[in-house]
Amino acid sequence: MEPADTLRVIDFGSVSPLRSQTLWHAAARGVSDGSPPTLSFCRPNGPYVGIGYHRRLAEIDLDWCSRRNVPVYRRMVGGGPVYLDSGQFFFQISLPLSSVPPSRPKALRFLLEPAVEAFTSCGIEAHLDERLEVTVGDRKICGYGAGQIGDAVIVVGNLIETFDHASAAAILRTPSPTARAELDRLVNRYIAATPADPDRFQRAAVEAYSDALGLRPEYGALNETEHSHLAELDELFADPVWLQGQERPSRPGWQAKVKAGVWLFEASRDGTALTLGIDGDQILSAAVADPDLNGQADELAASLVGQPIEALRSRLATAGRPGRRLGRLWELAEPGRVG
Amino acid sequence: MAVENVRGFSLRTDLAYDCVHHMWVEVLSSGRVRIGMDPLGLETSGTLAQLDLLAVGVSFARGEHFGSLEAEKFVGPLVAPVSGRITAVNDEAIVNPGFIENDPFGAGWMIEVEPAALDDEIPLLTSGADEVVSTFEVKIDEYRRDGVLAE
Repeated sequence: MEPADTLRVIDFGSVSPLRSQTLWHAAARGVSDGSPPTLSFCRPNGPYVGIGYHRRLAEIDLDWCSRRNVPVYRRMVGGGPVYLDSGQFFFQISLPLSSVPPSRPKALRFLLEPAVEAFTSCGIEAHLDERLEVTVGDRKICGYGAGQIGDAVIVVGNLIETFDHASAAAILRTPSPTARAELDRLVNRYIAATPADPDRFQRAAVEAYSDALGLRPEYGALNETEHSHLAELDELFADPVWLQGQERPSRPGWQAKVKAGVWLFEASRDGTALTLGIDGDQILSAAVADPDLNGQADELAASLVGQPIEALRSRLATAGRPGRRLGRLWELAEPGRVG
Repeated sequence: MAVENVRGFSLRTDLAYDCVHHMWVEVLSSGRVRIGMDPLGLETSGTLAQLDLLAVGVSFARGEHFGSLEAEKFVGPLVAPVSGRITAVNDEAIVNPGFIENDPFGAGWMIEVEPAALDDEIPLLTSGADEVVSTFEVKIDEYRRDGVLAE
């Protein structure tokens, strides 16, 4: 076993989509068992969809995935469904639970700041914003998830060298063509690739994490026990029951997050429909429908754009009874709870 | 119901607490116990997005997991403060974890349990108004000093 002041660094290289998930889960289990803190890297050699531990499989357009032979794997860390492919270079940092702050937002900041430093070392003007999103300007450049696996904490993220915006939006099931069009637009608007040399990024990440953690980097590999974990995880992740996840009641209305704070909402009932794109507390886009709006739908929707979300109901109420029906649909939204 | 403001946190002082894992335990008149998350645990979690709880009928030992919670894309386990078998699950909190944030001692309860070893395990928890207050004061001060909580 490596000494306590070591940061084990593992370069898994280019691996299958399944292994691009199970390898780092196995490493985290190893850290939980007593292996040293571990920084690892890998790249999937093909496209797939990853879904967060708690999320409903129904959020994904499984028909789309099936038509393109894109497998779906459920991870043990958080976040929503994401499209992943060989244009993305993954990094993972895993530490004993006792080594990270007990506050989750602070733990994330602690474990993401070295990654941001690695981005900037590659000439990318990245920063970690107040919503804990890694951004350049107002565009997200790094997807991440985090979790506790045994007695280890792991944060996983990616350097997005190229990004297939169309597929990233297409994997998500949407309730209407209106929602689909707006999702496509927001994914294009708010997610960006940052082409950089992955070798340079890796070297910078090793240096940044070593410095931040006060550990000496040493390249290594999974040990025998971790390989046993890996075999179990390969089997688990291929199991349809695991993929299905725990049964959970569906939430009313449809929501999809594009990046932290930017999300889409749609709800409909008896011909009344409300679709909103939202950035923080501001309405980015709107579409409304109601049988009694009598041609005023476009005008009403336009009046909502740019308004604070707090003003939504009063704005809708100017349209009388159909406006109030639209306002009641907004009660189904759960701002801030779109993972 | 006895509620006290401890360093800015509203706490019920008539409950028992696992202050390491931030869970509260209420012994109901039926002999069953109700379990939820304390406000300090919620403060350090961030905005709750997802909740999973084991199903009615499932048994667990103290220290084992009875569910998981996701906040800020971070998935973590819910650690059982006592052993027992689940007799009720708060489905409304699963659909809307906001109940837990807004009313952690009321509508935000998580599970009810038929306890397996309550007499042995309650003494392992923090209980009694004075002890609850003093334990939380120390914990909150420690969290503030270490930057875990905002000043």
